[in-house]
Amino acid sequence: MSLARFLVKRSLQGVFVIWGVVTVVFALRFIAPGSPENVLLPPDVDEETRRQVAAELGLNEPIHIQYLDYIAALLRGDMGNSLVTRTPVADRVFSTVPATIELAVAATVVAVVIAIPLGVVSATRRNQPADYGATLFSLLGISTPNFWLGLMLILFVAVPFDVFPTSTRPVGLLEVGERTLAGNLDGAAAGLENWLLHITLPAIALGTYFTALITRLTRSGMLEELGTDYVRAARAKGLPETLVRYSHALRNTLIPIITVVGLQLGTLIGGAVITEAVFDWPGLGTLVIDSINARDWPIVQGSLIVIATGFVLLNIVVDALYTYVNPQVSFD
Amino acid sequence: MIRSLLAWLASRVMSPRTLRNLKAEFRRSTLPKIGLVVLVIVLVTAVFAPFLAPHPPKDQDLENSTQPPLGFSSKSVEEVEVQDNGSVVFDDEGNILTENQTVYENASLSHPMGTDANGRDLLSRVIYGSRTSMLVGILGTLLAAVVGVSVGLTAGYFGDRVDDVLMRAADIMLAFPSLVLAIALVGVFQNSDIHTYDLPDPFVWAATHDTIPNVLIPRATHVAQMPETTTFPVTVTLVVALVNWVWFARVARGEALSLRSEEFVKAAKAVGAKDRNIIFRHILPNAITPIIVLGTIQVAAIILLESALSFLGFSGTSLSWGFDINAGQEFLSSAWWISTMPGLAIVVTVIALNLLGDWLRDALDPDIGGEGGV
Repeated sequence: MSLARFLVKRSLQGVFVIWGVVTVVFALRFIAPGSPENVLLPPDVDEETRRQVAAELGLNEPIHIQYLDYIAALLRGDMGNSLVTRTPVADRVFSTVPATIELAVAATVVAVVIAIPLGVVSATRRNQPADYGATLFSLLGISTPNFWLGLMLILFVAVPFDVFPTSTRPVGLLEVGERTLAGNLDGAAAGLENWLLHITLPAIALGTYFTALITRLTRSGMLEELGTDYVRAARAKGLPETLVRYSHALRNTLIPIITVVGLQLGTLIGGAVITEAVFDWPGLGTLVIDSINARDWPIVQGSLIVIATGFVLLNIVVDALYTYVNPQVSFD
Repeated sequence: MIRSLLAWLASRVMSPRTLRNLKAEFRRSTLPKIGLVVLVIVLVTAVFAPFLAPHPPKDQDLENSTQPPLGFSSKSVEEVEVQDNGSVVFDDEGNILTENQTVYENASLSHPMGTDANGRDLLSRVIYGSRTSMLVGILGTLLAAVVGVSVGLTAGYFGDRVDDVLMRAADIMLAFPSLVLAIALVGVFQNSDIHTYDLPDPFVWAATHDTIPNVLIPRATHVAQMPETTTFPVTVTLVVALVNWVWFARVARGEALSLRSEEFVKAAKAVGAKDRNIIFRHILPNAITPIIVLGTIQVAAIILLESALSFLGFSGTSLSWGFDINAGQEFLSSAWWISTMPGLAIVVTVIALNLLGDWLRDALDPDIGGEGGV
């Protein structure tokens, strides 16, 4: 099967899954105690107004009509209005998406940059101090809750050294990009520096689990590959050890790494939600938690749909990537 | 006796070869031994919390609030009390209190981990917190396993339509990151609607009814103050099981899919065995090893999930490690231990579970090739 057909097939599956997600999210409102008009209105309001508001929100329609209306609105990009601020949900949700993507990507970069060299060193120096250190680190890393790690980073890094601010990030990457395009290079550089200082600790807090996980996978994968015949053959014909390690063995190790990282993407996104709560990061996670506490269901629903959709898309990309790096698997 | 009971239990679910692998791997390495010892300690702590905790966990002692843990001293900067008439204030020893006076407070033996902002003993809270983690971790995993394995085996055994329907449902569940779904599910309930159930504590009951000789009860404990029940967070347990059953379903389905074409399954079918019997008597026992490995890892994952939920304030009980980490967040710069101690408890418990998980994976499933798998 060609890549194009694979993508079409997976996208169709993705559409089905997203439809399921929308249905689940729609149903979520009905298990929540208290109906939307009660969130909207003060408790002492008279029955007449209550009924009027319920009618305006479309709550008097039969459920299947509400469901179809909901899907039709979603297809137009309309996620309804916030119950609290009365502004469109889509605006609120999409304005927070970049911050979450920045955090998730930064954490992934931290993880890959540290973990792969660490795993290789650990495997090539098996049972030496460096290996024990790396193994201990990865055991700690997969066992530490990231929100607690975030607090410890604030406690032991941010508070004593006063380099990394823990307040809300003032500029995002989009803002930096806008300044660059506007020719304001000094402003862009200052913004970028500020952004880097703000994102360092959250990225480490979120990325540590993945660093540990990828270190483990790289180590065990490299150990396996370094014992294979083709590596012996490569060494026997006199190839430099660096070439054998990085070009032969590491390349084959990447396949299982991509699989597992793909499976763990949910942990990354879920982890981002709670890391945002610790560092006051203005992303989707903060929005979800604030909205749950404010009983602002339309925003919770919109955020859930956006998160799940993003997750489904990411999984399709990972699957395609996996098939691409592993010639043994075809796009079936 | 416990040994032979365990051996009998193990022989019911595992083949002799698997058992041999388990034992060999256990002897070969120290790490699983550490994991097992730590886990047993945590379990014993959870079961006998009222007898081990030096103080009742909810008792406030405002005189001794934010006391540092043993071996540390905390400094607090006191505001000067300048009186209206300009006179100075003397302390107990007759020294003049100057501005930015630094007061050192030393830890006391009675609060080895220090106290929180309300003067509650942190060690006792950590000890009681292990109950919530263990209850939710173990019961949540069992529930997720029962649901997931049933769905997975059914899907894999029947294949075709049944498989399609069940696995598409699983796909939809997997489209939500588990923490996000858990937050949304617990979050839809208002705090008063997060259900908990007060489980009676048989050991405290026995102690208060004088069925245990008094010498067996440690001196420090005050039987009269022991809570007779422990809070079991029902909603949280249901939610963590609901978001995690899919992993069991995937593993069980894969096993059933490959087992259903085995000769012994065909033979059972040929003699007219019922599908339900084939699934539970022939397929399940042969699929149990990967399920056990997954189960160990899931207990760790669910403990982390529970702590995340209670950190965010969706727990239903205040005796939870995540709850205390959250409570200490605002005192991070003045009383670091409030958040640190319960976090360490989580890390230690999860490390122990991960060590056991690695042991089981290395011993039971050599194909996976884990740490040092060559």
